[in-house]
Amino acid sequence: MGWLVWALGLGLALGLPGSTWKAAAPPVFPWDALGPTVLAIALLSCLAPWLAWMGGPTLASRRPLALLEAPPDLLWAALLLAIWPSVWGPPGLGGWLVALLAASLPGEVRWLAQAMPAEHPFPLAWGKTAVQRVRLKVLTRLWGRWVAARLPIWLTATLVLERILGVPGLGTDWMTRVAVRDRFGLAIWVLVLAILWALSQTWDQESA
Amino acid sequence: MRRLLLALSLIFISALQPFPLSAQVVEESLSRDPGPLDFIEGDSYEQWILQSLAGDALVGIAPNGRVVSRLASSWKIQKDGKIVFALRSDVRYTDGSSVGAEDVVWTIQALLRHPKASPTKRAILERAEVGIENGRPWIRSPRPPGRLLMELARVPIAQKDHPERGSGPFAFRKDPGAWVFTRRDHFLKPRVDGIRFRLLPDAAGVMTALQKGWLSIGAPATRRQTEVPSTHRLITQPMHAQLVVWSQLGVAPLQLLEHWRKDAFPPQLLALNARPSRGLWPETLGFEAQSIESGMALPKGPRTLRLLYPAGDESVEKLLLALRERARRDGFDLQLAPLEQGLLADRLQNRDFQLACSMVVFDPHPWTVLEYMEPKGPMNFIGWKHPQLAEITTRLQQPGDSAWRELQALWAKGPAALPLLDFQSVIWVDKHLLVEPSPMGLYLHTPGAAGWRWDQ
Repeated sequence: MGWLVWALGLGLALGLPGSTWKAAAPPVFPWDALGPTVLAIALLSCLAPWLAWMGGPTLASRRPLALLEAPPDLLWAALLLAIWPSVWGPPGLGGWLVALLAASLPGEVRWLAQAMPAEHPFPLAWGKTAVQRVRLKVLTRLWGRWVAARLPIWLTATLVLERILGVPGLGTDWMTRVAVRDRFGLAIWVLVLAILWALSQTWDQESA
Repeated sequence: MRRLLLALSLIFISALQPFPLSAQVVEESLSRDPGPLDFIEGDSYEQWILQSLAGDALVGIAPNGRVVSRLASSWKIQKDGKIVFALRSDVRYTDGSSVGAEDVVWTIQALLRHPKASPTKRAILERAEVGIENGRPWIRSPRPPGRLLMELARVPIAQKDHPERGSGPFAFRKDPGAWVFTRRDHFLKPRVDGIRFRLLPDAAGVMTALQKGWLSIGAPATRRQTEVPSTHRLITQPMHAQLVVWSQLGVAPLQLLEHWRKDAFPPQLLALNARPSRGLWPETLGFEAQSIESGMALPKGPRTLRLLYPAGDESVEKLLLALRERARRDGFDLQLAPLEQGLLADRLQNRDFQLACSMVVFDPHPWTVLEYMEPKGPMNFIGWKHPQLAEITTRLQQPGDSAWRELQALWAKGPAALPLLDFQSVIWVDKHLLVEPSPMGLYLHTPGAAGWRWDQ
């Protein structure tokens, strides 16, 4: 089923309707943005499970987390720009990383917390150590699926932050290829995401 | 503990000091990724800016619209239409080698032969011949030499076999997230150390960057144009740009739009950016304001008209809503349908529309209006034709010739398109940066950015 969805995505990329009035060259892939993106994803994929491990499944219903989750990327970027001292110059990649984590972490922590099983009465009754071991086991099992489900989103959804902060990255590359109708480039994007998904499936094999 | 606090305070205070590194570098923004610098394949407005900084065409266009020398110090038009150029001897590419006639020939042949060459430049050079005579490059084209010369200002000369290398006043370097140009030893004698472009597609992002002093030049949001910060000044300049409506339903809807555009747009919506168009072709290109002369009476409502327009531009959308209200007063239901730019281009090229509009940036010479009329013209979306066109076109030798008036009169009898708005460039420029605006913007004329300087 998953492969069918990716095949559909590939078909959509190759058959993207529309054309450009005046031909425009597709952008050069932003290789220099790959490092910061990998760093951001790595930070996110460590911080979110760690916070979920600390807070447990009850985090999913915590109001402060919901309040932090509510503002869209746009507001985080605007807030960062507003408080960033002008004498420091544009926020650049550091600012982008902070805004990305601020925008994504609360939602991801809730996603993980919501997927965790309830802890009352067990393992709560067995003590703190048992609770922490159960959370660790659960999060280890969840990690692969979570990355597979969320990674494509965070790889491409940084577009809003990139546009406002003036830090072109993978989201901008994706959108520019849509704008110039670079169907081949978009197909490669879909293929790479499909391969990442397939890899996450192999990490996440259910044991009998 | 006290020492630690003192150290932390000092670090904090030093962090608040401005960075001294880019004092003489102009900080600019691009709204779209221009793609890689490529003098053969590159074809977009942003790419044109990059090429004008990093390259030299044979000739340039001065802010007043006249052809001036650039790579060629002089040229001679022969009786057979051949233009022979004398190249400057003091121009060098970034690798140090001098610009020669073989580079001119290679660039033009590459533009004509390369399958992915810029369609705009290829159209300029259509059926052109190029060669070398006594060590000097020559170009011959079926187009009038006056037109060819003005159009050649859009064709910078690349080094042979190096489509990414030019001889312009600035050397290009692509940094992570920035397009950086640094001053070179060049005959135009650039006086700013460099220009650094960041990609800032979001208007709110540009506005914040301007207010925080992170941009030397930028376009403010329409509603806040007059709130110029103390660090900048406001510059306005008419552009060769219009919002144009094409009609597949004949002249009648265009007659209505011509009538409505006079009083449809409230001044507070137009701001400084736009004013209602008066004629059929851009007045900035020297055309007189001419009205439609189809000989038919103005159509009467009620009737429904469907207008496609490019989605995403809030100010244009508001102006079109005002136009819809004006149409309603005459009993017409003007239905507005936003479309993504690529889908709109498709609908225009497939003639799948009733009325469709788009912003058009015209080339800086009057022959650009032939794109509306010529059989394969890139703006001839409805297949407009007229038996007299070919004969009149042959008489268009220079801007200002009387044949231009005949051509406009011919178009006025049955136009396929009508401009609604003339756009004006509204920018905030650093108070200490002296620039020369023109209808082509700040970059695309000669000397362009090479003529800027910092006021001490």
